[in-house]
Amino acid sequence: MTKQGYHGPLERIDECIWRIPKSYKPGMNVEGRIFADDRLIEQIRADQAPEQVANVACLPGIQVASLAMPDIHWGYGFCIGGVCATDPAEGGVVSPGGVGYDINCGVRLVRTNLVHDDVRDRIKGLMDSLYRKIPAGVGEGGPFVFAGKEMRRLLAEGSRFLKAQGLATESDLEHTEAGGRLADADPEQVSGKAMQRGADQCGTLGSGNHFLEVQVVDEIHDPDAARVMGLAEGGICVMIHSGSRGLGYQVCDDALRMLRGAPCRYGISLPDRQLACAPLESPEGEKYLGGMRAAANYAWANRQLLMWQTRDAFAEFFGKPWESLQMNLVYDVAHNIAKMEQHDVGGRTKTVCVHRKGATRAFPPGHRELPDRYRAIGQPVIIPGDMGRASWILVGQPGSMEQTFGTTCHGAGRVLSRTAAVQQAKGRRIDQELAQQGVIARARSWKGLAEEQPQAYKDVSLVVTVVHRAGLARKVARLRPIGVVKG
Amino acid sequence: MYEIFEHTADVGIRARAGDLNGLFADAAKGLFSLILANPDSVRPVQETHIRIDGDQYDDLLFDWLAELLYRFDTDHLLPAEFEVRIDAAGLDATARGEQLDRSRHQLDREVKAITYHGLDVRRDADQWVAEVIVDI
Repeated sequence: MTKQGYHGPLERIDECIWRIPKSYKPGMNVEGRIFADDRLIEQIRADQAPEQVANVACLPGIQVASLAMPDIHWGYGFCIGGVCATDPAEGGVVSPGGVGYDINCGVRLVRTNLVHDDVRDRIKGLMDSLYRKIPAGVGEGGPFVFAGKEMRRLLAEGSRFLKAQGLATESDLEHTEAGGRLADADPEQVSGKAMQRGADQCGTLGSGNHFLEVQVVDEIHDPDAARVMGLAEGGICVMIHSGSRGLGYQVCDDALRMLRGAPCRYGISLPDRQLACAPLESPEGEKYLGGMRAAANYAWANRQLLMWQTRDAFAEFFGKPWESLQMNLVYDVAHNIAKMEQHDVGGRTKTVCVHRKGATRAFPPGHRELPDRYRAIGQPVIIPGDMGRASWILVGQPGSMEQTFGTTCHGAGRVLSRTAAVQQAKGRRIDQELAQQGVIARARSWKGLAEEQPQAYKDVSLVVTVVHRAGLARKVARLRPIGVVKG
Repeated sequence: MYEIFEHTADVGIRARAGDLNGLFADAAKGLFSLILANPDSVRPVQETHIRIDGDQYDDLLFDWLAELLYRFDTDHLLPAEFEVRIDAAGLDATARGEQLDRSRHQLDREVKAITYHGLDVRRDADQWVAEVIVDI
């Protein structure tokens, strides 16, 4: 299995959307739609991601289209950057592959009242203290351990459980997607193995593409929305990217094992085994949803604890409590998740299961799930870029409800495979190159840094420009990294 | 023997051996070559036994690698040598290695999970070949 390009049809619908017609493959229930401009579509053709968009279109009960964001790249089963909504009333399925192993991998942004001048000469010291404080790296545990009844409460209540422990504030919960807790999580569907893997990993970063970055706001595109979020040019922020750690990986693994015979039992034929699924309204489907929601809750608790430790590190370093540094959570979004949501489909309101795998919810102004603070501007969307260039803050737009089940992109998307990135980094010191660009990197593994080097990713600004033009989400601010902690 | 092959966001392991027992052992070595920068530093001083039931070779390979990953994540056991015996009902294995010691073992990557995407165990002329993509 080597990397090959996609040679199937891609028909242009408009400036930002491309179609894979339903006739491309037998078994497609809907067409495929990829959001991209001319430049990105050429990169997208270079691997099998469009084929995977077509494969997802074969899932029973899929609504409207198998959708892909401009940051799509080749994944396993589903592409990364894919969106798929299924209707339980039409035999719609839920697929663990449509969520991914890292259930509720996501991003949060914390603002501060510090400006670039406050940290410019002290950034190395700040990064050293964050590196000491934030558990990161392969198999690394942290200071928080959850077992037995406490673990079950954490899985059922997510970040809300941490509030009872004095590790989260009401405002933190309000500024987290779903309030940091999905209802109907079922801790009984989380195996002993999964709980054991997650026992000491809540509040740890992990490795791979996960990171903690200190960033400076360097461009404001929407001053009103930026003001509401507490972002001003030159301001210092912290972005945290992590997920449900070993617990979530095990929940997905267990579910795929449970589903081994399910497609056959329910008469579902699949073009790729990794698309394993079961009807939403089946015992298997319900079990997976219950376990997946519990893992999602664990992930929100994980990012909450990472933020809590970050606040501690800042407070120690600057000698002020975090409250005086006004380190408020701007927002926290999931980008690997499946949620039951209400959407307008062909003029009717339906409750559908929206799978977002490497895609971010982007609800528009006025949506009832938004906290009061953001009701008028729309939901903040956090798009991490690579560690050398930039990340973006957007707000959801009405076009997302009309076109993509309230969804936008999630990041830059890879252009180089991990092995190719390591090859290109041979004999180089990525940390020194980053330092020359004004980014102080602290990482546990050279290879990890090599695989995540800026050149391995698409330019996130191109990706964001497409979703902005397509009316899925609007640009608010650009953030530039000045310090990175990697596992 | 094993080799690592590329897959955009993830990494694949391709193992080849004269028999199935050797194939499963080599796939396991491939897995830990991704996790550890210096796999030769692991001493075979501790032993663990693994039993997995199943008669489909691809599922068996998946379960075998997933079990090793689980034991690494929870017990921090780094295995280096594998004796695998496959019969009609499943797999019996002995893995030898040692506890993770961060002063000697340099960890490279977190393998999140084994995937079914492109999972394949096949007989190719006079040898066995296994391919598996892992999620990083």
